[in-house]
Amino acid sequence: MKAIHFTLNGKKASCEVQDKELLLHTLREQFSLKSLKEGCGIGECGTCTVLIDDEPHYSCLTLASKINGHDVKTVEYLGDAELLHPLQKAFIDSGAVQCGYCTPGMLLSAYSLLIKNGDPSDDEIKEAISGNLCRCTGYIQIIEAIRNAAGLCKCKS
Amino acid sequence: MYIGNETNRIDALDKVVGRPIYAEDLSVPGALFGCVFRSVRPHALIRRIDASAALASSGIVKILSYRDIPGENIFGIIKKDQTYLAEDRVRYVGEPILIVLGQTEEAARKALRLIEIEYEDIDVISDPFISGGSRTLIHEKGNLLSHRKVIKGDIEKGFDEADVIVEHTYTTAWLDHAFMETESGVGYPDNKGRIVVVSSTQNIHYKQKEISKLLAIPEENIKVIQATTGGGFGGKLDVTVEGFLALSVYHAKRPVIMRYTREESFLSNTKRHPLYIEYKTGARKDGAITAIKVSIIGDTGPFASYGETVCLRAAVHATGPYEIPNVHVDSKMFYTNNPVSGAMRGFGVPQLAFAHESQMDEAASMLKLDPFDIRIKNALKKGSLTATSQALHNSVGIVETLKKIEPYWRKRTRESGKTGFGLGCMYYGIGNTGVSNPANACLTITGDGKIALHTGACEIGQGSDTVLAQILQEALGLKMDDIVLVRGDTDTSKDAGSSSASRQTYISGGAVFDAAKKMRQYLDEKGFYKGRSIRDIYNSEADKKLLEHNGFFDPPTTPVDPETSKGSPYATYAFATHMTEVEVEKETGSCRVKKVYAAHDVGRAINPKNIRGQIYGGIAMGVGFALMEEFIPGKSGSFDNYYMPTSMDMPDVEAFIVEDQEPTGPFGAKGLGEPALIPQAASIVNAIKDATGVRAFELPCHIERLKILLEKAKR
Repeated sequence: MKAIHFTLNGKKASCEVQDKELLLHTLREQFSLKSLKEGCGIGECGTCTVLIDDEPHYSCLTLASKINGHDVKTVEYLGDAELLHPLQKAFIDSGAVQCGYCTPGMLLSAYSLLIKNGDPSDDEIKEAISGNLCRCTGYIQIIEAIRNAAGLCKCKS
Repeated sequence: MYIGNETNRIDALDKVVGRPIYAEDLSVPGALFGCVFRSVRPHALIRRIDASAALASSGIVKILSYRDIPGENIFGIIKKDQTYLAEDRVRYVGEPILIVLGQTEEAARKALRLIEIEYEDIDVISDPFISGGSRTLIHEKGNLLSHRKVIKGDIEKGFDEADVIVEHTYTTAWLDHAFMETESGVGYPDNKGRIVVVSSTQNIHYKQKEISKLLAIPEENIKVIQATTGGGFGGKLDVTVEGFLALSVYHAKRPVIMRYTREESFLSNTKRHPLYIEYKTGARKDGAITAIKVSIIGDTGPFASYGETVCLRAAVHATGPYEIPNVHVDSKMFYTNNPVSGAMRGFGVPQLAFAHESQMDEAASMLKLDPFDIRIKNALKKGSLTATSQALHNSVGIVETLKKIEPYWRKRTRESGKTGFGLGCMYYGIGNTGVSNPANACLTITGDGKIALHTGACEIGQGSDTVLAQILQEALGLKMDDIVLVRGDTDTSKDAGSSSASRQTYISGGAVFDAAKKMRQYLDEKGFYKGRSIRDIYNSEADKKLLEHNGFFDPPTTPVDPETSKGSPYATYAFATHMTEVEVEKETGSCRVKKVYAAHDVGRAINPKNIRGQIYGGIAMGVGFALMEEFIPGKSGSFDNYYMPTSMDMPDVEAFIVEDQEPTGPFGAKGLGEPALIPQAASIVNAIKDATGVRAFELPCHIERLKILLEKAKR
């Protein structure tokens, strides 16, 4: 067991983890962050995406012990039902959500893109979410939502 | 107006904040974890099982076999021939044999490796063509599961009248649904001593019936709840974890969780049926199709699942959306020791669309006709007779969908020698084939002044909750705030049938509409439309039973003739035309789908935003079907080696909605879920032919296959 200290969704967090414990399991079990999903367990589908220092990572491939001292964000960071992030709002308005299983990971990959690039091209958006599989939507309304949110985020800043 | 609006989905807010509870997210204190021990042999007798070491290992509570089943060890949607747990014999790799219940997932999975089993191999039937004549029987009554024919007119006369004959063979692969959420669920005993199963499913009432038989417990003592479901596409229609959970709870008398790994999902879930299609088309010089003769051979694996449905539905839809006077279709579905094939978005129709649309282009090419013109010439119209001699009186929008696409087709221009354009058309019968398939819905007035809609229809991501709520709003003239949805629970709803066959908007929508008519009359009598509040009506009604109004809809169909399939198997059909532009790198065989124009006759668009979402999603699946997806038994086991479209593979799409209203549908609506996928692969294959001159007769036409075709064409 090893104690780790990190920032989780903007707040200080600590816990004890096993040497081989995966971040996905730590966050789901110790912090009840059930928005992270295990769609494949081998880093191919992106449903377990988290942001580590604002970069998307597959939490199913990340050892929990490696996040000591880092900043970790899940979809809960973006906003809640009372105060949605413009990206979340855009996902709703564009019809970018169907079964919803890929949605949290998709939002995080999109958020990571938008904080680096406030005016991404469609190709840049497609590339940014290419590690997040979605079986329902055909991605088009997701891409539209990210494009629209980029405009909104810019207006805000 | 509440329908036809760009209304947001009612479940979207929860989903963007990560709040919905999928089955795996349920925290149940004290729950055991259940794992399935599966066969590694395709066909073998089980000589001996030694689970003693597994049972003795740390954290293992129970190991269950077929001997622990108190009721019937058999299930199946139509023909009940599939065992929950193998008895003395296994029939495919991945067949469940034992359930291991551990204190933790880790303990249960570790124990699986300690189980020893002795098999005696039997001849393996891996080919449907060998299956029929084999002396090795997969089931006692023989290896032919189903044989259906569609016969119309005089086939010989039809070919005599033809000026050209086009004859080819088309084959398709196994496909996996690859829903993002694998099969999962939780079971527990409730405080009334009943067994409750919460799972990721497309049909709660069917699962309730099967569990009741499995445990020999009356249906009212089984409760099935649908958790938020991460996609279905047909793969969560058969019993997956539900039976195992119920059996485990029955014995352990405590909560049990199950969740398949992705590898286990690939191994055990039903697949799209690979079909072998011989297709002969006769056409006159003017482009009129005079006859088609089609032979379909399918491989359903060792258990029926939806094999009979696919066998018949593929046959009935073999003509495509065209009026063809002389039709002979012979469709056979065989048992093999391959993976179990079942329901997957379209039930065999996407495979047939690949064939009939390729034939259409080949006929046009021989006759030097434009592929568009030959389609519109033969397209079904009001008054046309389908292949089953069903006269179409209403809502026949195929020509209109073609006309939506026509301007783009006429002005298409090749940007380079790599570019090609292709068309794909389809029709699709909404609801189950030639059988009663009703839905119920119930409306009640609640004490807090709302109208509650009780429905058993499963929201699997397709948007049925939102659409049913919109239908209710429109029918009663109510705001969303005045409505509560009570759904996905066998305790609180009556059977609405499965979320399959593109049926819930049309059929459950019809049931909601029916209930709403009665509720509207009641509310009207009570003065609601003159300003009285719903709460006031509730309080003043002495007999609370009068606050409940039930709705029912069963589409008017007739059974099809067993010999000719003559009849009206569906009350209504959806129609669509897709036009696809591709770019092919001839040196490598790589094909990029650039642009798709898709026009769909949905009857009436209840929610255009959802409709576009279905169309885009269907196109994505069609791109996968055409170019990349192939489940190879023994090789495909994860997303590492089962390729499906990412955002980078998606074309731009322009979607058009045609509304040729269906009089029996709620506000004129039909269905769309499967039609969105059906013509896509066909239009890609036709576009590849246009770009390169080579035609793919085998799907997927992935990079290696296309490269080989291009190389062969050079010689």
